[in-house]
Amino acid sequence: MSQDDTTAAVATAPPPTEAGVPVARVEDLHVTFRRAGADIQAIRGVSLEVAPGEIVGLVGESGSGKSVLGLSLLGLLGGSPRTSGRAVVRGTDMLTAGAAERRDVRRLHLGAVFQDPMTSLNPTMRVGRQIVEAAGSQDEAVRLLTAVGVPDPARRLRAYPHELSGGLRQRVMIAMAVAGTPSLVIADEPTTALDVTVQAQVLGLVRRLRDEIGCAFLLVTHDLGVAAQVVDRVAVMYAGRITEVGPADEVLRNGAHPYGVALMRSRLSLRTDRDTPLLALPGSVPSPARPEPGCAFAPRCTLAGPDCTTTPPVPVEVAPGHLAACVRDLAEIRAFAAAVPAEEPPAAGTPSAATAPAAATAAGTDDAPVEEPAAVRVQNAYRTYSVGSGIGRRRPLQALRGVSLTVARGEAVAVVGESGSGKSTLLRLVAGLERADGGTIELGSAAGAQMVFQDSGASLTPWLTIGELVGERLRSAGVPRAERERRVAEALELVGLPAEVAKARGIQLSGGQRQRVGLARATVVPPEILLCDEPTSALDVSLAASVINLVGRLRRELDMAVLFVTHDLSVARVVADRIAVMYLGRIVEIGTADEITHRPRHPYTQALVTAVPDLGVEPPPPSGEPASPLDPPPGCAFHPRCPRATASCSDPGLDPRLAAQPGERTRLTACINLEVS
Amino acid sequence: MAIAEPAVVPPSPAPVVSRAGRPRRDLTRLQAWGGVGLLVAVTLLALLAKVVAPQDPLAPVGLPLQPPGSAGFPLGSDSIGRDVLSRVLVGLQLSWFGAIVVIASGLLVGGIIGLVAGAVGGWVDTVLMRFTDLFLALPAPVLAIAVVAALGPGLRNTLLAVGVVWWPFYARIVRGEIRTLRARPHVEAARLAGTGGVRIALRHLLPGAVPAAVVAASLDVGALVLTLAGLSFLGLGQPAPAAELGADSARNLSYLLQQWWIPVMPGVAVMLLALAGNVAGDGVRILLDKR
Amino acid sequence: MSARGAVTGGVGPAAATAGPAAAAALRRVTGVPLVRLLAKRLVAAAVIVVALATSVFVLQRLSPLDPAKAMLGPGASASAVAQQRAKLGLDDPFAAQLGRYLVGLPQGDLGMSYRTRRPVMTDLGAFVPATAELASTAIVLALLLGIFFAVSTSLRWPGASVLRGVLMAGASAPAFLLGIGAILVFYKQLGWLPASGRSGITDLPGGPTGLLVLDGLLAGRFDVVSDALKHLVLPALAISFGPAVAIGRVLRTSLSSEERSDYARTARAKGLTDGAVLRRHVLRNAVGPALSMTGLQVGLMFAGVLVVEQIFAWPGIGQYTAQSIPVADFPAIAGVTLLLGIGYVVINTVVDILQGLADPRITT
Repeated sequence: MSQDDTTAAVATAPPPTEAGVPVARVEDLHVTFRRAGADIQAIRGVSLEVAPGEIVGLVGESGSGKSVLGLSLLGLLGGSPRTSGRAVVRGTDMLTAGAAERRDVRRLHLGAVFQDPMTSLNPTMRVGRQIVEAAGSQDEAVRLLTAVGVPDPARRLRAYPHELSGGLRQRVMIAMAVAGTPSLVIADEPTTALDVTVQAQVLGLVRRLRDEIGCAFLLVTHDLGVAAQVVDRVAVMYAGRITEVGPADEVLRNGAHPYGVALMRSRLSLRTDRDTPLLALPGSVPSPARPEPGCAFAPRCTLAGPDCTTTPPVPVEVAPGHLAACVRDLAEIRAFAAAVPAEEPPAAGTPSAATAPAAATAAGTDDAPVEEPAAVRVQNAYRTYSVGSGIGRRRPLQALRGVSLTVARGEAVAVVGESGSGKSTLLRLVAGLERADGGTIELGSAAGAQMVFQDSGASLTPWLTIGELVGERLRSAGVPRAERERRVAEALELVGLPAEVAKARGIQLSGGQRQRVGLARATVVPPEILLCDEPTSALDVSLAASVINLVGRLRRELDMAVLFVTHDLSVARVVADRIAVMYLGRIVEIGTADEITHRPRHPYTQALVTAVPDLGVEPPPPSGEPASPLDPPPGCAFHPRCPRATASCSDPGLDPRLAAQPGERTRLTACINLEVS
Repeated sequence: MAIAEPAVVPPSPAPVVSRAGRPRRDLTRLQAWGGVGLLVAVTLLALLAKVVAPQDPLAPVGLPLQPPGSAGFPLGSDSIGRDVLSRVLVGLQLSWFGAIVVIASGLLVGGIIGLVAGAVGGWVDTVLMRFTDLFLALPAPVLAIAVVAALGPGLRNTLLAVGVVWWPFYARIVRGEIRTLRARPHVEAARLAGTGGVRIALRHLLPGAVPAAVVAASLDVGALVLTLAGLSFLGLGQPAPAAELGADSARNLSYLLQQWWIPVMPGVAVMLLALAGNVAGDGVRILLDKR
Repeated sequence: MSARGAVTGGVGPAAATAGPAAAAALRRVTGVPLVRLLAKRLVAAAVIVVALATSVFVLQRLSPLDPAKAMLGPGASASAVAQQRAKLGLDDPFAAQLGRYLVGLPQGDLGMSYRTRRPVMTDLGAFVPATAELASTAIVLALLLGIFFAVSTSLRWPGASVLRGVLMAGASAPAFLLGIGAILVFYKQLGWLPASGRSGITDLPGGPTGLLVLDGLLAGRFDVVSDALKHLVLPALAISFGPAVAIGRVLRTSLSSEERSDYARTARAKGLTDGAVLRRHVLRNAVGPALSMTGLQVGLMFAGVLVVEQIFAWPGIGQYTAQSIPVADFPAIAGVTLLLGIGYVVINTVVDILQGLADPRITT
């Protein structure tokens, strides 16, 4: 570790907002792991304080060191790293204290919630016993479960983790974390594995628990929206250092560090401008094995100059309690933040005149037949899987229960839904990877459908070169070798990759490069319709934006239709002309992107829209979790969670059909209790 | 701030194609290569056994019951004056190549069955794997005894018997790997690219199953050497004058308390052979196993 | 050896497919997952045993030996052989013979030994208790040693790496070398333990189990118990050493990977001590692979029993097998194969059920 590092980037947090000593104080923390003969500098000089009862958000992209900071405070750093500095919790330094002392601090003063509640709970122990370990008694466990909103707690105590839904499991984790009213709960990506509506509930719970029992939270997240919604103060981490720290509103609205500003600009929300390209961050996070000597962000920063690359910038206070580690003047950064990007072709969604959705002109029935040629027409598709593992009985899982959807030529349609909605199944049927059990799927032309997968790394055969993979479709079509190589190079160029990538294998590329390869492979022979299965959900904010831009550009240049599956309404909004919202195997509402995101009509769509975390949004959390497609509720499947449900909604004979309201052409809703506006 | 679509050339001078994962700790790799070197060395020794052997393994060449280190008998002589070292070397050749033949044929048969079952799926998979599971649910060495007993003793039948009970392990492993690979999106991506079934099986599936199968096979060399020696010990190998490690030990048990080297030396040879196999297997695992 | 760990596919074919009426009747009881697990495993075990019997029968048919000739001896006339063939039903259709064989098995009809001219079942009855005592001792010893090896090689102490090397070498030694080595050291050199037979005592208690340790305990003859145990030590060690190393290795691997799991981290975050994390959380999750490995190693131990019995003059089915092999007494060998095969299936079925009990994800 160099001399510079130890003195640098000491962003001292503002004094605690309440009287009293901070519950946790990190001072000039350095954590270095040794991996494969190289030093991985996970944390390079971080200082931070958490006041009693305060929710502090620790925001950063993957590899920023945010999780390591959380584990440092818990005293649970694995892999025996070298550390310096202090990570003090209630007076005990969790880096240097003895094992017994650290254990006592964890038991008395700390709680922890981790990302994946399935693996974080012991699969072979009833959740009751696991909670009692932290809570001390059965009665206390019941009280805690009630407090975190688990219905029928006495019965749940006897359940094993795999018998609970994802949301309930995370509530159990939270119950264990707040047992014994700790001073501080470290929550590491607590909502990342959860559905959007469940995420909103859990975030609401964090807020409520803080208010009720007064414990502080350190909320580690990659999602700025999550941070924006619940935290009091935000620390933004980049490459092992804090770039900026301050009150949440201040940091997220008036960022004073180019990195924070860029992050905020590339993230999507329901207010993102659909008519201009998204602002993607160029480059990628630097390797923690070869850190920059100066400001880690300098190589990706438009404001960077020679003075940025020598020593790490010292944090300065730009507003009360708001510190930023950047050498540029605040005015310069603010000007940069306000700058309107140069004119560029429009982003993904914008319908051009040629592709305007004439689709779904309302007839009384399902998604109405369209006069002009369609890229794909799905009619009344059904798909049921038979599931069962171990010794359980095989049961039918109804993934699709009568879905009709038409995508016009050149149109982009997004399918949005939570887990179990059947959105991915629909995509696989259109791709021809599976057959429907009922209904028909017609593709508009022989050009067919091609697909971009969620996990771009896994979609590339590891031992074949990118050239072989991209050229495979040409090979199947009998294109000679030389011609193939030329067209592969062209396809790679079109997605912004240099031709030498053709010689590489998937593992040698970065996540963003792989997703581009996936796009090149799908478009080397342009298909009639491009199918995208959550292509951005595994990518960091800045990369996601550039992939979305690329999909939009390819769509225009190659004149393809796009069917884009996502769980994220704000992504759907920018990529698509129309959005179809699915719930438990059915489309419950379909309409233009603006109709769905700004004037949702179906109660479920409304719940989804309000659940999107964002600045200043205080959503009434929609109740419950999506039911299992193994056992969809009768009638309208949403009725158990629906605030407007009436007795007739649960009538097994009810079959809510998509229907248009008088005077509307583009929107269809499947609800019998619509509030007529 | 650059705007969308710029990142054709990365801003840093880093190569576009980053280096794949660095080698692990050098020591481990050294060990691994050492193991592989051992494998080669033992194979060479086995190949040259008859050349290296100082005496005719079958003929009496001196005084009987001479202890190790006696003139002309580095490992002693047996009850009729044959050279123990020469017999051990020839027996070693037999054991080693016997094990390798069984493993190679097991890999071939099991690999093909596993590949077909995994790649085709459906009822073909069910039928093939039910059949394979039947074998796996039975104790292989005991089954091999029954097979040799039915076919009649002898080296050929012993190898056949062990081969018959051994391939199911590889069928299971290869099939399992293929099923795992098949669930990966890369196979669906290949299907969407219009690639045919045979090409998918051979280009997109098989190469992924090879490392696991080879690792399993190389870890098995030691176990097979032991199994073959055990069968030979029970009298299921070649008839009397032939040099065979297990049988040489079994036939000379009565000399154990007085002339210990006669039954012990062949056993030690089996142990060294199996140890070489296990060390080499570990080496191959370190080199090939990505997990 | 460790590759075996990768193929613990469990007992294969299953699928209890009952008729609709039976299914309706069974629905109530099979609603209980544990009952369903038991039923499935038992049916699977039965299927495997039938398949084993069938293949043993097919092997007999494949054998170049004519059973009639083998029974009558080399000097028998052609007509006598033909008569014997008719008597044995060897000229009947294959299916009829197979049917007869399978029906006879549950009644203990394993055919006649060519060598002893007695029913194989009677012969086995005389040899099984000695083998059962040795094999069960070896299995228990393998488990105990496996746990000991797992713990002692994962602890940080100066001898750990040396011990690991010794274990690897020991696991590479054939059971017969371990047996004769043990005799040379502990009998010849040190004179601590006997090297031959089950007991040096002449007036042994006569029953009821045939297992000397148990019978001695029941009869209150502690001299018999300690003598029997002394005789058991060396052969059981020779059989169980290799399997114990394999079990220990799997146990160590699963312990260390479970210790690094997310739920163990959660448990530590609660402030539990390392001991509590290990006992309450890690152990139950880590036993599964070790149990599978134990079941798998039983096959190797059976082969080891056959070998080691010869070295220690142990009067069990290993001796019986060794005497049957040179004279190609196939019915005897088939009987031994069936017996050991069934023992293996039973043990692995028990292992499967134990795993179901240890892991609620299997049974709920």
